[in-house]
Amino acid sequence: MSETTSKSIREDLTQRDELSLYTRIANNPRPFFKWAVPMLVLIAVEFPTYAGVAFGMLDAVVIGVTGLLDAAIGLVSSGLSQTIRDAQYAVVGVLRDAGGFVDGLPTLFSREVIPNQGYQTGPNGPWEGTFLGLEPAYAWALRATLIFAYALFTAYWVFRGWLVYRDHYREADWTPTDDIVDNLSNHQWGKFGIFVLILFLTMAVFGSALGPTTVEQNIQSPYSERINYFNEDTGEVDQVFPGDANFNSKSKGSAEFNVGPMSYDDYGRFHPFGTLTNGRDLFTFMMGGARITMIVSALAIGGAALIAAVFSMFSAYYSGRVDLTILTTADGVVSIPRLLLLILVSAVFANHWIGNVLNGGFLLAIIFAFTTWPFLWRAVRGPALQVAQEEWILAAKSYGQQPRTIMRKHMFPYIVGYLLVYASMSTGGIIIGLAALSFLGNGLGISPPTPAWGRAISMGQDYVSGPSWHISLLPGLMIVLLVTGLNALGDGIRDAIDPEAGGSAEGEEAAAGGGG
Amino acid sequence: MNRGLYLIKRLLLAVPVMLFGLTLSFLILYLGPIDPVGTILGRQATPEDIRQLRIQLNIIYPNGEPVPLWDQYLRVMWDLFTLEFGQSWTVQRQTPVIDLIVGRMPATIWLGFWSVLIALFVGIPLGLYAGLRANTYRDYFASGFGIIWRAMPNFWLAVILAGLITAGGALDWYKDFIVTTTVTGTPDVLNNLFTLYHVFEGIPLLEALAIPVPNLIPMAIAFKWILPAALVLGSSSMGNEVRIGRTAVLESINSKYVDTAKSKGVSGRKIIYKHVGRNAIIPLLPVIMGEFYLLIGGSVLVEQVFGINGLGNLFFRSILGPDIPLVMALVFIFVIIQVTVNIVQDLLYTYIDPRISLEDTQ
Repeated sequence: MSETTSKSIREDLTQRDELSLYTRIANNPRPFFKWAVPMLVLIAVEFPTYAGVAFGMLDAVVIGVTGLLDAAIGLVSSGLSQTIRDAQYAVVGVLRDAGGFVDGLPTLFSREVIPNQGYQTGPNGPWEGTFLGLEPAYAWALRATLIFAYALFTAYWVFRGWLVYRDHYREADWTPTDDIVDNLSNHQWGKFGIFVLILFLTMAVFGSALGPTTVEQNIQSPYSERINYFNEDTGEVDQVFPGDANFNSKSKGSAEFNVGPMSYDDYGRFHPFGTLTNGRDLFTFMMGGARITMIVSALAIGGAALIAAVFSMFSAYYSGRVDLTILTTADGVVSIPRLLLLILVSAVFANHWIGNVLNGGFLLAIIFAFTTWPFLWRAVRGPALQVAQEEWILAAKSYGQQPRTIMRKHMFPYIVGYLLVYASMSTGGIIIGLAALSFLGNGLGISPPTPAWGRAISMGQDYVSGPSWHISLLPGLMIVLLVTGLNALGDGIRDAIDPEAGGSAEGEEAAAGGGG
Repeated sequence: MNRGLYLIKRLLLAVPVMLFGLTLSFLILYLGPIDPVGTILGRQATPEDIRQLRIQLNIIYPNGEPVPLWDQYLRVMWDLFTLEFGQSWTVQRQTPVIDLIVGRMPATIWLGFWSVLIALFVGIPLGLYAGLRANTYRDYFASGFGIIWRAMPNFWLAVILAGLITAGGALDWYKDFIVTTTVTGTPDVLNNLFTLYHVFEGIPLLEALAIPVPNLIPMAIAFKWILPAALVLGSSSMGNEVRIGRTAVLESINSKYVDTAKSKGVSGRKIIYKHVGRNAIIPLLPVIMGEFYLLIGGSVLVEQVFGINGLGNLFFRSILGPDIPLVMALVFIFVIIQVTVNIVQDLLYTYIDPRISLEDTQ
């Protein structure tokens, strides 16, 4: 069948010309511009933040991937590996320069626009340096609220973009995706999951603006610049290094050494979640931890889902010996409990260069991807087997379509929904596993001083019952909230794909949150 | 295909699975940046000591040539499969690995036993209850518990629970409840749970057999000690059981065979036991079996927090050592447990649900 006849049949059936998306927009530009202009504004006001996150992630991936390539090729030819290393330096240099440049650009909801760090000029005097002279707590709350509102609205606007496309520019009047989206938007539990996910993604992206102070100033280099504060003993405004102020703001479980949630320390610094045992701000710490957690789990679940999708389609399409080989490999991977393998690898490679990419997160992401795909594969293999027996696959085969094209065009769209369900549920396990490693410490997990949720829990271990209860409790509650949200999202997508099946149990134990 | 053949086939398939796991661990430990000689001898070792140790560890031949990796690999595998685990490097130098493992086993078995049992006896009834009372407030309450249990990290729950039980916490009373016990550490009663009675004394051959009789008071004390840790370790499985149990009941309660049984006039109680309950177990089976998987990994964390001297704790210490013989031996044991559990699960499937054909479960 030639290209032209197939096109004319299509036109006959749909009574439409096949126009490119660009032409369709050019024919009716109004709805597009009504959506695109606000979208551009939304992106522009926070562009440096997004660009910074993108450059940071690219940087880590480039270092990690070229490093692995280098190690692999170095076994064969040292000349080629030198070339790779040169390329790595060049690319990373460019990325770092670009990252440094966008870092200097202003954003709308930055701490410079709505500052919350200031000092009092007298015992009960007005605040200097904060937004409109507000108390730091209110200035911080205002900024945090604005950022969350902005993020939620931006997320809605992106969704709205899809609606505009559907209503004005899509050729088909209806596709199965419409039903899934409609079902999901009537699913309260699923919507709760989406909300939680957006909340934590916001923390990951806008973390440095959300905290009452920054990771750099409070945690990574607390002795580089002094801050002003009102000294009650002398009655004057003094200067102090954040590091020294931290030293006197420790939460150590006794009444005199404790800075609890929603309170100020002696240096006029507001701590929404209180301070850690070393006097650092827990909320800032959690925001820093959110970023590394979300990056590692996104890399891990993305890798795992990719492997699982390819393998499940191979299993279903070729079956027989290919299926058996994949099954044995999957069982082999699963035969070592995941946490043990993680502990093993991250302990052995603690001082190796690969253990330092992304503060240890890159290696962990690889291991998580490597240990998670068997569960996803098991869960998606069933649907893939089903679709492989459909008539349209047979038809495509008999037309001589390439296996690769059949899998991509005819099988993948069918399994992608199931993949999303189980990926969403498995991410909870990854997040818990990551926190568990950081909790164990001893060189495992994310390397200090980069914040990690598990480390905060481990710090507060001895102070659970006492005034410093917040150190262990709050980070744990945040993990519970995020994991519950991801499970809810998985439930929601599953019900949306297949409202009839009230939740099939198969493969769900794989998604179990716990284990860590 | 009959069951015997199927079992043989499963066992044959288990060999590459086990080899995969063990080979992976071998490669990580032997190709990774671990310096065994430096770990064992420290920095002040003489070159002669180093040479001797290298020969002893099968890194070089006595003539100074390095031993190729595949040769080391074959030797390590051979030793593992013939149960020659060797001596510990750093955790307790010169102690046979097998002694260390046997010494740590009771605590972990005790912990695992109760965490599985508690999860089963709380999780499944709660799930079935929620399913039978679907969409009532009681259901929401039970399912809500399930949802939160699933999402709670074991180590965090352990930290909070251990913190509440220690002095000054809200659960302070637990320590002196009925009998005073510790809640952290490993009590001695653990070695005193059973008394062995040699009832066949004087009869040849049978003499060696002894019947273990549980000692009730040490058992009670040990149970009270392990309860918080077992609750934590079983928590995520408990959540899964509530959830899967609920959906399983909902699915089978609306099925045609239940309608048939109702129309025949079978009593409600009998329907629940014979028709609903039995079919609800099928989807629960992988969850119950999955508990073992969660248990082995989870025991590292829970034993760490509660200070229990078990296998999980031993594994953690051996990896930090690094104590390669001990790590390999423990991985070997864990892999065997995991593979066995998988085979048992597949066999149980074919018994519980004959519709699942033996070919399908491959």
